[in-house]
Amino acid sequence: MIEPIKGTVVGQPVPLVDGIEKVTGKAVFTADLIAPDNLTGRILRSPVSHGRIIRIDTSKAEALEGVTAIVTGEDCAFTYGVIPIAMNEYPIARDRVRYRGEAVAAVAAVDARTAEAALELIELEIEELPAVYTPKESRAVGAELLHDNKPGNLEREVHHEFGNVEDGFASADLVSQEVFHCAEINHAQMEPHAALAEYDVSRDHLTLHSVSQVPFYVHLTLARCLEMDTSHIRVVKPFVGGGFGSRTETLNFEIIAALLARKAGGKVMMQLTREETFITHRGRPDTEVKMKIGLSKSGKITAAACEVVMSGGAYAGYGLVTILYAGALLHGIYDVPTIKYDGYRVYTNHPPCGAMRGHGTVDVRHAFECLLDRMARQLNLDPFEVRKANMLAAPMFTANGLMINSYGLPECLEKVKAASGWNERIGQMPEGRGLGMACSHYVSGAAKPVHWTGEPHAVVSMKLDFDGGITAFTGASDIGQGSTTIVAMAAAEILGVDLGRVRVLTNDSAVTPKDNGSYSSRVTFMVGNAAIEAAKAMREKLVAAAATKLDVSPDEVECEGESFFVAGSSQSALPFQDVAIAALASEGTINVKGTFTTPVEAQGGKHRGGAVGSTMGFSYAAQVVEVAVDPDTGQIAVDKVWVALDCGFAINPLAVEGQIEGSVWMGMGQGLSEETHYKNGLPVHGNFLDYRVPTIVESPDIEVHIVESIDPLGPFGAKEAGEGALSGFPPALANAVANAIQTDVNFLPLTPDRLLVALNKSRRAARRKEAS
Amino acid sequence: MSDTLPNFQLLRPDTIQAAVAILHDTENAKLCAGGTDLIVNMRRGLATPKALVDLTAIKEMQQITNDTEGLHIGAGVTLSELAQNTPHSAIAQAALAIAGPGHRFAATVGGNLCLDTRCQYYNQSHWWRKSNDFCLKYRGETCHVAPSGNRCRAAFTGDLAPAFLVLGAEVDIASPQGIRRIPLAELYSGDGTDYLTLADNEIVTKIHLPPGSAKSVYGKIRIRGALDFPLAGVAIAAKKSARETRFRIALTGTNSRPVLLDDPAPFTTNDSAETYFSALNKAVQKAASPQRSTITAPLYRKQSIGALAARLAQGLTND
Repeated sequence: MIEPIKGTVVGQPVPLVDGIEKVTGKAVFTADLIAPDNLTGRILRSPVSHGRIIRIDTSKAEALEGVTAIVTGEDCAFTYGVIPIAMNEYPIARDRVRYRGEAVAAVAAVDARTAEAALELIELEIEELPAVYTPKESRAVGAELLHDNKPGNLEREVHHEFGNVEDGFASADLVSQEVFHCAEINHAQMEPHAALAEYDVSRDHLTLHSVSQVPFYVHLTLARCLEMDTSHIRVVKPFVGGGFGSRTETLNFEIIAALLARKAGGKVMMQLTREETFITHRGRPDTEVKMKIGLSKSGKITAAACEVVMSGGAYAGYGLVTILYAGALLHGIYDVPTIKYDGYRVYTNHPPCGAMRGHGTVDVRHAFECLLDRMARQLNLDPFEVRKANMLAAPMFTANGLMINSYGLPECLEKVKAASGWNERIGQMPEGRGLGMACSHYVSGAAKPVHWTGEPHAVVSMKLDFDGGITAFTGASDIGQGSTTIVAMAAAEILGVDLGRVRVLTNDSAVTPKDNGSYSSRVTFMVGNAAIEAAKAMREKLVAAAATKLDVSPDEVECEGESFFVAGSSQSALPFQDVAIAALASEGTINVKGTFTTPVEAQGGKHRGGAVGSTMGFSYAAQVVEVAVDPDTGQIAVDKVWVALDCGFAINPLAVEGQIEGSVWMGMGQGLSEETHYKNGLPVHGNFLDYRVPTIVESPDIEVHIVESIDPLGPFGAKEAGEGALSGFPPALANAVANAIQTDVNFLPLTPDRLLVALNKSRRAARRKEAS
Repeated sequence: MSDTLPNFQLLRPDTIQAAVAILHDTENAKLCAGGTDLIVNMRRGLATPKALVDLTAIKEMQQITNDTEGLHIGAGVTLSELAQNTPHSAIAQAALAIAGPGHRFAATVGGNLCLDTRCQYYNQSHWWRKSNDFCLKYRGETCHVAPSGNRCRAAFTGDLAPAFLVLGAEVDIASPQGIRRIPLAELYSGDGTDYLTLADNEIVTKIHLPPGSAKSVYGKIRIRGALDFPLAGVAIAAKKSARETRFRIALTGTNSRPVLLDDPAPFTTNDSAETYFSALNKAVQKAASPQRSTITAPLYRKQSIGALAARLAQGLTND
């Protein structure tokens, strides 16, 4: 194992460099950009789930005083979508609407009240078509098709088999199968969607400020949908109040704001309500997972087979990636000799699903870890021992071609087992209390981007100028996860300067280099490595200047603590400022850059869809959850969580701890209470009362342990830290509940009403058993 | 979509008489105190008053006094003040169970007693309700909760009302004719739409609680430990003597009005606790009539509130 690099900067807990603005309220978010001269945009949304647009008459609305522009599907004939082969969504519906709330027109007016009044004046005639709300309805013979080119309403089916699972099951001592149902959830990020679009008529220039995690994709999509040259577009991402995947693709309101701004010849502020933010959706789909596992008596997994059906909503979005991820990430955590996967992504007349923290893996991991726990019980094995019987040995490639160079899961297991007092407490818990555990993993950046250009995956440029300041430029979107801080820390560490000397400028396409965006936990790994490379290039220039001044060769010069010196020499050290001046004297302002490209061997298997799930390294997590269950009301109290995450190396342990807590907490939301509800396609959950994100009252004490396996390719050995611990929580919760009340349940979330029904059912069964 | 407040006139009288006079003289005026419920509803287009009568300048509505006749609580007292200044556990618990700290800082006793009834088909945006042909409570013809019926099934979800009911509260109602006092139970009509018996020009100004030594408790069924309105709530007052305990029980969140149950037979030293509290559980379930007004199933609300009531009542006998 490579020794961790505890630098003067990296490895030290550092408050986020942009944190002060946030906690003091000075941070400028998109909605704060509202200006006296901006027009207000509002969207008219479909009242029906499925239908043919017969007529849209905007004449009365246009006649309303104060209305500046109205756009409909007529104003944009181009589809969009994050996957180049699956762009089947129009920014504003044309001919067909496929979910309640889909945009059918939009208005820009002098103020909100006028815009809203105009919406009421638009006459909309829709011929309703039959709607399908569940995969069962969608896949039924004769069901109305949402997209004519998608028979059976299937967006994508996946069939992968690695090894022969039937042989694997035949060699098992115990084979079990269960079907789990996980409800659809939404990211529920704090900041509602907003975009400010400004069109400069005289130059045909468009500037968009938006809440995006992927400004680069937004840029490309605007060019496509508005038929503009990319050089005439500028995309800026101000402070963002959370994303969690909701903004990892271009969203219709961003394009609509731009269309309105161009038509109005001005500036349009588009702020969506919380309900509209929910309707824009892209959350985790309602998923049914049929999981089958074969185990030997000693707990060795012999085979796993998994069938997944996802209710994807009305458009493709990220759908094919989600359904591929669900299968790919069956691999890479345990040594499972044979794995079969069948996945079905189905269209339904609901808002489109998409990427959400733990993209693709969460519901499948839930099913796997729950079933493994039950089988361990049947075989009288400790759940920790079953996991330990199936560890991988890095470096290796999985059966589906995923590269694993570092693997800290065994240490994660040891940490949480010891910390929770598992051995002493399991089996000794009082009535109604339980302990449960589970493991999970996640990718550190998709090795192949969805939009393949052949360019490096990340570029960071860096400038040193007369002021002695180091400015790093990155297109990486900090959405609260701390990526800007990582860039600053990497630069300061390599250059041996104070963190305060480094400034990071982000996310302005006119200034910062292109970045693919903040998704698949790619930023620390890719942008971190690019920042290191840029800083090394800068250091080379400075060291050369220092060497000249010190009259030694560059390889004798060291830099640390804002000074340059020759180790072991009596010669006095040169302060940073002097070296900077000397370096600038020869060439003026110094601009350097660093890049990162994923190695070919990290890019996955050769089979169809093999790129999805491929990454440079996986994070690994184990957690133990302690619960108390109220047998009368079915209410669960999560009292304590012990969680360990192998993030390779914690560049910023403070941020890593926060990310782990956030992952656990978000997993808890899905586990306990979060779910969407629709009534004939109408979202009942479009607010924070009916969409039940846990409050601080439900938040348990979370004890975080960081495991550092030092990944050979990671920046300073680091891997991802923001997603890996999420998918372990729901199964650890369900396993703890089973431990507490001897009742296994196959649904998420474990709301008290469902749990009480299950409890009553198992009580009746117990009574029957007693009677017979 | 829309979320913009309509234009309205804001009036801020400093006496009850002036407030009543404004209500009487102004067409389509609504009372507003903390505004934590009303403003949300107005943004959703559920109310379009021409004028809001802000009651927060009326000092006499913001006092809590205690005398030989009992405790007198101004309707303008905020929930956080109430929680700190009541000797009754049930009232403090109910107040602290409402929404979050920020809401309780602004929201008032009168506002919670007069809280608009709630329903998953009603507490939605204008777009949502319009797409669903509105509903019987507002602008529509059908109650989507019970389409075959002819009354609105929205649930009353104020947390304070049951606590006040079990403690025998009366309320003062100001009108142009003066002040009248009625038992709190009579403030509620039982209909989800016109859920209060108040006339348009009347204001609840004060709550009176008789002196007494009953122990009391409030419990609430909800999914989360904060923010949520009650899926069901129960307040219980207990008067203990040497050989028996007498209970008073009231519910919220289960019906279109807060429900004061008929007093159950006292729990005596001769009773088996298991039998008695199991019967009490059933009696509570019988009085509760939750409908599909929330996303959480009615059966759960009924079963869990029965079990919670029995547990809380038994807890009071142990004290």
